[in-house]
Amino acid sequence: MQDAIVELAGARKVFASPEGGEVKALDNIYLDVRRNEFLTLLGPSGCGKTTLLQSIGGFVRLDAGTISIDGADMTRVPPHLRPVNTVFQNYALFPHMSVEQNVGYALEVRGIPARERREKVGAALVMVGLGGMEKRRPNQLSGGQQQRVALARAIVARPKLLLLDEPLSALDRGLRHSMQIELKNLQNELGISFVFVTHDKEEALTMSDRIAVLKHGRIQQIAAPREIYDRPANPFVASFIGVSNMFEGSIDSGSLVMDRGETLQLGRTLQDCKGRATAVIRPEQFSLSFEQDTRAGIDVTIDQVIFVGAGFELYARTRGGRELVVSAPASARDDVARAESDRRARLIYVPANIHLMPGEGGSQ
Amino acid sequence: MSLNWLFRGGLVAYTALFFAFIYLPLALIAVYSFNSNPVNMMTWEGFTTDWYWQVLGFKTTVSEAAMYIESTGQLLAALRNSIVIAFSTTLISTVLGTALALALYRYDFLGARTYRVLMFMPMLVPDIVLGIALLIFFVNAGVHLGIGTIIIGQCTFLISYVFIVVSSRLAGMDRSLEHASADLGANEWVTFRKVVLPQLMPGVMGGALLAFIISMDDLVITYFIAGTDVTTLPIFIFAMLRRGIKPEINAIAVMMLTFSFLVASLGLYLRSRQK
Repeated sequence: MQDAIVELAGARKVFASPEGGEVKALDNIYLDVRRNEFLTLLGPSGCGKTTLLQSIGGFVRLDAGTISIDGADMTRVPPHLRPVNTVFQNYALFPHMSVEQNVGYALEVRGIPARERREKVGAALVMVGLGGMEKRRPNQLSGGQQQRVALARAIVARPKLLLLDEPLSALDRGLRHSMQIELKNLQNELGISFVFVTHDKEEALTMSDRIAVLKHGRIQQIAAPREIYDRPANPFVASFIGVSNMFEGSIDSGSLVMDRGETLQLGRTLQDCKGRATAVIRPEQFSLSFEQDTRAGIDVTIDQVIFVGAGFELYARTRGGRELVVSAPASARDDVARAESDRRARLIYVPANIHLMPGEGGSQ
Repeated sequence: MSLNWLFRGGLVAYTALFFAFIYLPLALIAVYSFNSNPVNMMTWEGFTTDWYWQVLGFKTTVSEAAMYIESTGQLLAALRNSIVIAFSTTLISTVLGTALALALYRYDFLGARTYRVLMFMPMLVPDIVLGIALLIFFVNAGVHLGIGTIIIGQCTFLISYVFIVVSSRLAGMDRSLEHASADLGANEWVTFRKVVLPQLMPGVMGGALLAFIISMDDLVITYFIAGTDVTTLPIFIFAMLRRGIKPEINAIAVMMLTFSFLVASLGLYLRSRQK
């Protein structure tokens, strides 16, 4: 494929677990990283996302399968010969070198003359907003600054691909958010692909062109953030990406019939489906109503209302005892107040917007 | 309240005694080295630096009868031997000990664990046993005893000291730095030279200084394998003692102490700077 910078085919890696068993870190992974794309590997700890990143960088040798980078087979190529640079989770800055020496390391190793090196290092430091810090030592910098040095060091030699291993996890919340935006801008500016590992779904949704959700060494779904959010491939993805209300049941003449006798109306396109399925309704897809009309809706009692600044979160319960989460915008203030005082409401949904996934398994 | 005070007072007294026990003998030697009484150095007669001048081979007013050192040449020859041996063993044991530590840290090969345990053995074996063992070995192998055998013999246990110091430094090292170096395009050799070795340097220097001082100081093992021609400084001093304690010994001791102190200070300074 011409527009893929990285291609993994049938990648497998098994580690021995401390209990003496085996852990499949990578289980038959097929993955293409496109050119100029910001791809996020997202998943809970132990899902294989870091192993996947390290196998692209060359630090993990695959048990089976192949990796090619920019059309060249890299399966057995050691890390220092791969056209790839990494921003490590703990930054891994060389403590005995100045910022300038750290950032210039990749150039020095390639034998680039000192003057040209200094120019490029300066430019890279300006790019990450650290101009004028050349002479400092890593231990004289704050966590955020060290992060930027690690970033400058990884981009100074213009790799074809930048790998980022949870680089923002050690930063505080505010700084993390501004770095997310900066990283995204940097990726546009450099015009290279970023592969970013995180367990933070907000981070993934904010920055990515595509997200690959992993679990147990398998890719559960790979798609654009909105697609992943709106049309999760399975209940695991649905619950991992944001809060989801999930309904399991069997499809029967245009409705999803749940085990406790409750039903959910389905859109016209789903009428022909058969068998067991799980439906997803995101908290913001409900709207509050108090009248019995022809619109599809669920009658609930309201357990709790929480003010979250930009809006409200309502914890509701159906007659069958199913717990639901509803989010309402600040503009729905009056309805929320009424629901809170009445202790009950009707949750309106649009059947056509319901996303249906085959199979069972609501939580995780 | 008063019990607490008593406890604190006791602690202070204990600490003072502790340091007095360690350092008072050294202080006494320093004081006696300036005592002009040639017969009984416990009796203070007056201040003099004659013993130092005497040791260093200058003409002094000290009477011939009071002196032990027959010729300063002997002393200086012993010192020179000690220094040659110390520099050689330091160089050899530092290189080999560091290489060994790196190999055992980096690679997991068959018998690595046994190897590691064996490296502690020379420190646990009594000096006298090691000395006899080396003597028997050299004699059976037909090697002429001398500076060469001393260097080989001292290296057998100095490598262990360097190995242990460097290993402890390696254990605290961040492995991800090597990954970062490889990631940025450096091969193993460049990574070793530019990242691993600079990180390791305080450990290597510490091991080298330790080896140097132990080598300068070693008496028992060296005594066995020195043969008849070669005398090192500790052997020379030991031989002097058999003829009774003379004031020159105090002067020699103070000079050795000063030297060790300077070397140790240098080591600490280098360590604090590289942190």
